[in-house]
Amino acid sequence: MNIPQGEPQKPKPSNQHLRRNPPIAGEAEAIQSAQAGNATSFEFLYSLHKRRVYSLCLRMLGNVAEAEDLTQEAFLQLYRKIGTFRGDSAFSTWLHRLAVNVVLMHLRKKGLPQVSLEETLEPSQDDGPRKDIGARDLVLSGSIDRVTLERAVENLPPGYRLVFVLHDVEGYEHNEIAEMLECSIGNSKSQLHKARMKLRDLLHSGQRKEMAS
Amino acid sequence: MDCLEFQQQLPELYGSRTSLADHPHVVDCENCAALVRDLEYIAEQAKFLLPIHDPSPRVWEKISASLPPRSRADDDPRRVRNRNSGRLRRCSRRRLSDAWGRSIC
Repeated sequence: MNIPQGEPQKPKPSNQHLRRNPPIAGEAEAIQSAQAGNATSFEFLYSLHKRRVYSLCLRMLGNVAEAEDLTQEAFLQLYRKIGTFRGDSAFSTWLHRLAVNVVLMHLRKKGLPQVSLEETLEPSQDDGPRKDIGARDLVLSGSIDRVTLERAVENLPPGYRLVFVLHDVEGYEHNEIAEMLECSIGNSKSQLHKARMKLRDLLHSGQRKEMAS
Repeated sequence: MDCLEFQQQLPELYGSRTSLADHPHVVDCENCAALVRDLEYIAEQAKFLLPIHDPSPRVWEKISASLPPRSRADDDPRRVRNRNSGRLRRCSRRRLSDAWGRSIC
């Protein structure tokens, strides 16, 4: 590929691949049909998207029963609102955002993760910056499989997990997360950093247990 | 800049750049270099966490139970027309048979 001289290549956003939505065979027709009230087409859309919506709910909530309830609620909202989908974005993106909003509304009612999101940037004793990390020099690169990482994510505190899932897994930017969670951008960055540090600790301790056994 | 200062700045540093491998402190400090490698690896691997969980069948059962009752008209408008025309034909035959006192089918 020839790049004209003097024309810099624009860097791709680091999370762009998360927003890729390749067309699914039959989806466009099913959407139109469901918008007209066809229940079979709606069921088809459910079968196409249930896994992603449910996985999102489960990762954000960390609880199977809640995740199933909110998956149900997300699709019922989809049924009520599908007529408003105009095709400005990919359908899966639109549905994904709807599901995130359902989870966030639920969390606001419960109030749990917001407590940790209101945390200031003052480091706590457990999660603050460590002056000496010389003892923790295990290199993780290439040594952690995704199942292990998934399990570690499940073990994160709710506030950390929420921001980590939204940013690193689902690809939202900090300004978007701050708006969704009604916190500052600085808080979003801080929570993300702490989530990654906690994950590092969890993964390290998992490695040490394996080596000891 | 010492390790504590560097680590305190990490949340903001990551917000402004994708990799810190060439940060001056990282170049000079193997401890923080290892930390940065681990954190960037975690962030990178997270992107590939695919949706892997399916909801139980009862989720759809509950959704389906909450939807308006499905009428046969929901399925295919053409079937509605054919169905209705069949009803009309049957009604017509019944009326004629009643009028004539015998079935004409």
